[in-house]
Amino acid sequence: MSNYNIVVGGVGGQGLILTTHIICQAALKKGYEVKSNDVVGLAQRGGMVWGTVKIGEKIYSPNILPGEGNILIGMELLEAYRWKSTVKKGGLIILNDYQIPPVPVIAEQEEYPPNIIDEFSKDYNVISLNAIKESLKIGTEKVANIMILGILAQNMDIDKEIWLDTIKENVPEKYTKENIEAFEYGYNYQ
Amino acid sequence: MKEKEYKVMSGNSAIARGFYEAGGSVASSFPGSPTVEIMHTLNTGYPDIYSEFSVNEKVALEVGIGASFTGARTLVSMKHVGMNIAADPLMTFTQTKINGGFLLVSGDDPGMLSSQNEQDNRIFGKFAKMPILDPSDSQEAKDFVKFGLKISENYNRPFMLRITSRLCHSRSKVMLEEREDKEISGFNGELKDYGMLPPNTFDKQYVMKEQLEKLSADAGDFEINKYEKSDSSDTLIITSGIMYQNLKELELDVSIYKLGMIYPLPIDKLKEISRKYKKVSVIEEMMPFIEDELKINGIDCQGKEFFNFTGELNTEDIELGLKEAGVVETAKLKVSQVQDDVTARIPMFCAGCPHRPVFDILKKAKAEVIGDIGCYTMALLPPLKVLNCSISMGASIGIMKGMSKAYEKKGDKKPLVAVIGDGTFYHSGMPGLLNLLHQMDPDYNMTLLILDNGLTAMTGGQPTGSTGRYGEKYDMNVNIEGLIKEIGFDRVVSLDQFKYKEASKTINEELKHDGLSIIITTRPCALNFKIKETPFYVDPKVCIGCRTCVKTNCPPIAMREYKGIDDLKSFINTDMCVGCSVCAQVCPVGAIKKVKEGKDE
Repeated sequence: MSNYNIVVGGVGGQGLILTTHIICQAALKKGYEVKSNDVVGLAQRGGMVWGTVKIGEKIYSPNILPGEGNILIGMELLEAYRWKSTVKKGGLIILNDYQIPPVPVIAEQEEYPPNIIDEFSKDYNVISLNAIKESLKIGTEKVANIMILGILAQNMDIDKEIWLDTIKENVPEKYTKENIEAFEYGYNYQ
Repeated sequence: MKEKEYKVMSGNSAIARGFYEAGGSVASSFPGSPTVEIMHTLNTGYPDIYSEFSVNEKVALEVGIGASFTGARTLVSMKHVGMNIAADPLMTFTQTKINGGFLLVSGDDPGMLSSQNEQDNRIFGKFAKMPILDPSDSQEAKDFVKFGLKISENYNRPFMLRITSRLCHSRSKVMLEEREDKEISGFNGELKDYGMLPPNTFDKQYVMKEQLEKLSADAGDFEINKYEKSDSSDTLIITSGIMYQNLKELELDVSIYKLGMIYPLPIDKLKEISRKYKKVSVIEEMMPFIEDELKINGIDCQGKEFFNFTGELNTEDIELGLKEAGVVETAKLKVSQVQDDVTARIPMFCAGCPHRPVFDILKKAKAEVIGDIGCYTMALLPPLKVLNCSISMGASIGIMKGMSKAYEKKGDKKPLVAVIGDGTFYHSGMPGLLNLLHQMDPDYNMTLLILDNGLTAMTGGQPTGSTGRYGEKYDMNVNIEGLIKEIGFDRVVSLDQFKYKEASKTINEELKHDGLSIIITTRPCALNFKIKETPFYVDPKVCIGCRTCVKTNCPPIAMREYKGIDDLKSFINTDMCVGCSVCAQVCPVGAIKKVKEGKDE
């Protein structure tokens, strides 16, 4: 069995909790041991949020040891950048190529860090897409995280059917079709 | 036989599940991170159980006391600071007999991920002579709820389940079981056990002491207290909660005593075991609670001299402490996690938040405002920085009065302003307001703004006394203006803060009024009531780049470059804009327009 240490970074309100929840449920269905941890202080207020999911045979702490992550999911560019040191060099970084400017950038005191993707590409395997833009083509930006999960699914030893079942169980029924379409897009994204 | 069913659950959900399986009947809480999800889960997922978010933690506990007296298995949950509010009934309740099993869940927050202080509520457990359970993952959280309710009945005592943010918000595998049938007997106890006046209370002191002694003696045989023995090690580590899991990651060759019940300790058992070891190390977050208990009872151990007294103890922190304690030779793990040089992302009011125009007006008026607890506490943060202090739930009104009296003595009647939300006002602001009437200087310029957004927003949108305005499924619909007038205040005005100019005029007039003015702002929480109107856009040819709109600090608004225009101009991300129109109203040149009116960007 494989071990996965997944770190997820995002902005409050982006849906991080549901995302880590779906990863956990899918891993459990596959028969893995799994623990996760969400840090969501002021979650809905546009602050930084992050979570970890540990998948393997025997897991004690839900926390990933510093620098021991092997997959980083960035739901927003700056938040991916913030957590890059949690992932081993050579690890996989899955990026939603989307920017939400933080207060110091809005206030013109700091610049939004440029060239984040180029910098990542030096040390990591990077898969990036603007999931918000692609999701709007499907009909709603609400499915962006599921599209990102599609990319994750390509890179994990969990059957596609398990992912699809887990997604269906966890998204609102009226958006099931859009979510499945988003997952398929991510799953087949090169 | 039916196959066992497993689910991955957060600590909070597992606690709710445990209460369901234990045959729990009544649950109450006041929302506060990290425990909100417990009552939310009971509310939404377990219709067999009566559950409520009460007006405050004291009331929640009282509801729980009544339910337990009547024979229902009962759970009351709250954030650590909520225990301060609930402490009055608690300290006397622990003297009485219970009837239905009673569990008080306290969500502590080591590292203050979402709290105004870091108090260690294990002290409260000991103070109230209440036994404390401390689970280490979701399965244990569920099991300890069931165990706690039963043992609470066996020993006829309320028990405390002490959890931390990490336990609440982490997920792990949980085995689901059937719900137990638990009948409710009714209240028919004897007055000597429930009427807490002397002399009834005299005997209770002895009862409590004897029960704790008996629990301490019995605890050595409790399955939740586990001894993991290594034959080759001369070190014993005593720990509990999630630190046990963090410690196990190190895969050390040491003996571990994992406490499931951290008060009272199985002292005799621990004395017997610890004699076999050269070194006894205690690993616990925050205060040296277990360490002190061991030392008071003559067990030689080390702890806080090697482990930090504040914040969480993650695996890497534990390794470092054990190195200093001489238990491990080297610390191999990296320590820092966050890159401090990366631009900070501090929280801000949501797009369409009704607090935005209020604080924009107060900032322009250069008011220094006494704050309270809620989303609006974020007005402490840059770039707003409108609040000058914030202490605890409902404190703003009392603090304003105290300041006014001190300024009177100083001979300088500086005008004062305070803000409080509706949930906080109902929670514990009302006594402070009533107290303003007492020895009030009728000419002192004080302004109180009650930001009535219709619910407790900061914790995800739980109902308050005001929520009934927004739908029939909520049954409380208090008329705050009528209530305040009835108490005896006459200068009270309600206003719609999204009519920016009128609101600004009224607020500025009241800020100048010599006497007490109370202003109630009436717009609801945009996030929880999903308010979405036609969005706005900036016409860059009209925009003069003055940044008045940007300074309202709204997530979709920032300056940017436009093709063919030299200077930066304001820009609104229309996907994020919910059309509250505040930016359009503050714009001095009319550059911000509704999308459907003008051409799309």
